[in-house]
Amino acid sequence: MQPDNVTKRKANSYTSLQKSFRTNRFAYMLIVPTLLFMLLVHFLPMAQGIVMSMLKLNQFTLAQYLRAPFIGFDNYKSLLFDESNPIRQGMGFAVRNTVIYTIVVTFLVLAWGLLVAMLMNRPFPGRGIARTAMLLPWVVPSYVVGVLWGFMWQRDGIINYILVDLLHLMGEKPFWLIGHNTIWAIIIPTIWRGWPFLMVVFLAALQTIPEDIYEAARIDGAHKLRQFVHITLPLLKPVIAVQLLFQFINNVYSYNIVSTMFGNGAGYPGEWGDLLMTALTRQSFGYWAFGSGSAASFLLMVVMLVFVGIWYRTFRSELNSQ
Amino acid sequence: MRNKKWTVFSTVMASTLLLAGCGSNSGNGGDGQAAATTSASPSASASGQASPSAQTDPVTLSAWIMPNSPKPDADFLKVMDPYLKEHPNVTLKVTVLDWGSAWTKITTAATSGEGPDILQLGTTWVPAIASMGGIDKITDKMGDVGGEASYLPASWNTTKIEGKEDIYGVPWFVDARAIYYNKEAFKAANVDPAEAFKTWDSFKSALEKVNGVTLDGKKVAALGVPGKNDWNVVHNIFPWIWAAGGDVLSADHKSVTFNDDKGVDGVMYYTGLANEGLVDKSSLEKNSSQIESDFGDGKSAVIITGPWLAKNFATPSKAGGMDDKAAAKQFAISPLPAGPSGQSTFIGGSDLTVFKGSKNKDAAWEVIKYLSTVEAQQAYADISGQLPANKNLIESPDLDANMKAFAEATKYGKSYPSIPQWGPTETALQKHFANIWDIVAGVKGKYDRDSIQKEMNDAASEVNSIIKQ
Repeated sequence: MQPDNVTKRKANSYTSLQKSFRTNRFAYMLIVPTLLFMLLVHFLPMAQGIVMSMLKLNQFTLAQYLRAPFIGFDNYKSLLFDESNPIRQGMGFAVRNTVIYTIVVTFLVLAWGLLVAMLMNRPFPGRGIARTAMLLPWVVPSYVVGVLWGFMWQRDGIINYILVDLLHLMGEKPFWLIGHNTIWAIIIPTIWRGWPFLMVVFLAALQTIPEDIYEAARIDGAHKLRQFVHITLPLLKPVIAVQLLFQFINNVYSYNIVSTMFGNGAGYPGEWGDLLMTALTRQSFGYWAFGSGSAASFLLMVVMLVFVGIWYRTFRSELNSQ
Repeated sequence: MRNKKWTVFSTVMASTLLLAGCGSNSGNGGDGQAAATTSASPSASASGQASPSAQTDPVTLSAWIMPNSPKPDADFLKVMDPYLKEHPNVTLKVTVLDWGSAWTKITTAATSGEGPDILQLGTTWVPAIASMGGIDKITDKMGDVGGEASYLPASWNTTKIEGKEDIYGVPWFVDARAIYYNKEAFKAANVDPAEAFKTWDSFKSALEKVNGVTLDGKKVAALGVPGKNDWNVVHNIFPWIWAAGGDVLSADHKSVTFNDDKGVDGVMYYTGLANEGLVDKSSLEKNSSQIESDFGDGKSAVIITGPWLAKNFATPSKAGGMDDKAAAKQFAISPLPAGPSGQSTFIGGSDLTVFKGSKNKDAAWEVIKYLSTVEAQQAYADISGQLPANKNLIESPDLDANMKAFAEATKYGKSYPSIPQWGPTETALQKHFANIWDIVAGVKGKYDRDSIQKEMNDAASEVNSIIKQ
C-alpha cells in the first residue's frame, strides 16, 4: 500500500468522523452525561484500584491512602509466589468452590429458566398470575435469601424436616451449614433466586419467534424435540449467549447470599462455602491487606476479561447477526 | 439500570437486616448513612482551647455509635437529654453504624478526615484506629473522667496501644460473658447451682446430670453453643484457654502462645463438652442470637453469653424483647467455672473517642465527659442492658441480681492484647476456630487432641506472621 493512500485514508476517516459528529451532534450531547457519569463512578475507581494494587497499603499506611509507599509489582509477585501472603490463605478452597458454584448455577439457571419459559409460552388459564407468582423469588433481595435459607438449612430446620421426617429420604439429619454440604446450601438458593429472571428473558425472546415457523415444521412432520433443537434453540442463541455471559459474571462475583448465610460476614463460611468474593473481601478487609487485595481483584478482572474474550469469539457470529 | 436499582434496594434492605452485628440487639438501626455534616464553631476551632464563647456558640456535634440498645439513636439521645437541656447551644446528630459495615466506614473516615466528632469504637479497634492516626490522644484529659482508678483493668487496657503510655479512648460500657442457666432444669435434675459452676469438673458433672431432663414435656440439651457461623467464635473459646492457664500471646507480645499445651487443654475441655453429647449438635450451626432464643424456649439448660440477654428477657416482646419466652422467668446468672488456673471470662465492650478530623474537639470532649459521669453511665446501662464501664457502678451494692453476677464475672475478666494488628489476628483465629467446630461436628476428620492441636498450630503460624508485620 502506498503511504499516500494511508494518509488519504486517515484524512478521510477523520473528515467522516467530523461529519458524523456534526450530523449527530445532538445524539453525542445526550451521551455526554452518561459518559461523564461512567468515568466518575466506574473508570476512576477502577484506575484507583490499579494504583492501590501497586502500593504498600496496609493498616499502618492506610492513613496515607494513595500516597502510601509505591512498590511496583511487589503485591502481584507476593500474591503469585509467596505462600504466606494473607490473601492466599484458604484461597484454594474459594477458587474450587467458585468454579463448582458458577458452572452448576449457570447451567441449571439457564436450563430451568428456559424450560419454564417454554411451559409458560403456551396459553392456559391463569397464565398471567402464574408468571407473576414465579417472579417472586427474584423479587426477594439476595440478603434476605441468605437469611431465610440460612434458617431453612438448619439441622432442625424445615428442609431436614421434609427430607428426613416426612419423606424419609435420609436416615439421619445431615448438617447443611457446616461441612461439605455447604456448597449445596449456597448453590440451591442462588438457583432459586436466579431462574425467574431468566424465565422472563426467555419468555420475551420466545414470543418474538413467529408461530408460522413452528407451523411449517409441524407440516413437515417435525416432532417437539426436533422443533426445539432446530428452531427454538438456534433462534434463541443470541439471547442465550448474552445470558450465559451475565450469569457467568454474576456467579463468579457472587457475595451476598454466602455473606448473610454465615454470620453476616463475621463468620467463616468454611472450606466448602467460601467463594472468591467472600474470601477476597475477608482477607483484604479482615487482614487489612488492601494493596494485595487490590492486586488480587485486578488479577481476577484480567482472568474474567480472558473469559469474556473466549465467550465473544465463540458467539461472535450470533451476536453480529442480530 | 435495573441492576443498579436492585443494588440500591438491596443495600437499603441490608442496612435494616444486618444490624445483628456484635450483639443481640436488633431494632431500628437509623439510616446507616454517614452523616458527616459538622458545622464548625469558629472560635472553638481557632483557639483550640475552650474559650468562654465556645460554651455558648451554637455547635452541631455528630456522633457515630453502634446498635448498643434496642433503639440505638433514640436511647442515646435520651441519655444525653439532661446535658442537651443544660447546653441548648449544642445540637447532637447521631448516626448508627451496624457492626458489619462500621469498620469500613470508620477507616474510610479516618483516611479522608471526614467523619464524626464523637466516635464509638469496639475495644479491640482502638489500637488499630489510633495507630492509623484516626483518633486523638486524650492522655492529659483523663483526669476529667476519673483516670485509671475508675475503670476495670481489662477495660483500661483497651484504651491504649500495648507497650505505650498514650490514652486514646474512654471506656463507655463493658461486655462480659457469664453463664445463664435454667433454674427449673437444674431443679428437675436435682443439681445444686451453687455447686455446679465452681470448677470445670463440677460444671461437667452438672451438665451430665441436666442433659436430657424434660421441661414442659420437652427434652433439654445441657449446653447451647454456637458453632462457627457466628460473630463470637473467638470470644467463646478464649475464656477456656485463659482458665486453663494459656494466653493469646507471650508477655512481650512478640510470639503466639495460645497453641501451647495449656491452650489446647482449654479448647479440648470446651469442645469436649460438645463432643461428649452435652450439646445438641444442631446448635453448632447456629449463631449467638439463635442460641439465646433456643435457651429462651427451654431447648438448652445452660448458655454462655453477655449481659444484654437479661435485658432482653425483661423487655416486652412487643418492644422486640423476649419476656414471653419460657426461660425469661426461670433463668439465673453465674460466673464461668474455674479451670486449672482459676476463673476467667472475656471482657470487651466499647470506648468513646474523639475523631481526629473533628472541628469541635472541645465540645466533643465535653459530651464524652458527660457520658462518663455516674448518672449517664447508670442511665445508659439501664437503657442498653450493657454493663457500665465505671468501676464504682460495677461494684455498687445497688446493682440488680443479674448484673451483680456479671459484675462478679468481670473480676476475672481478661481482654485481648491491645495491639494494632488485633483485627487481622481475630480474623485468622475465627477461621481456624471455625475449622475446629467443623471437626467437633464430625464433618471434617476425626476429633482428637492431635487434630485440634494441628488446627491450633495452623492458626498460630498465621497469627505469628500477622504480628510480625
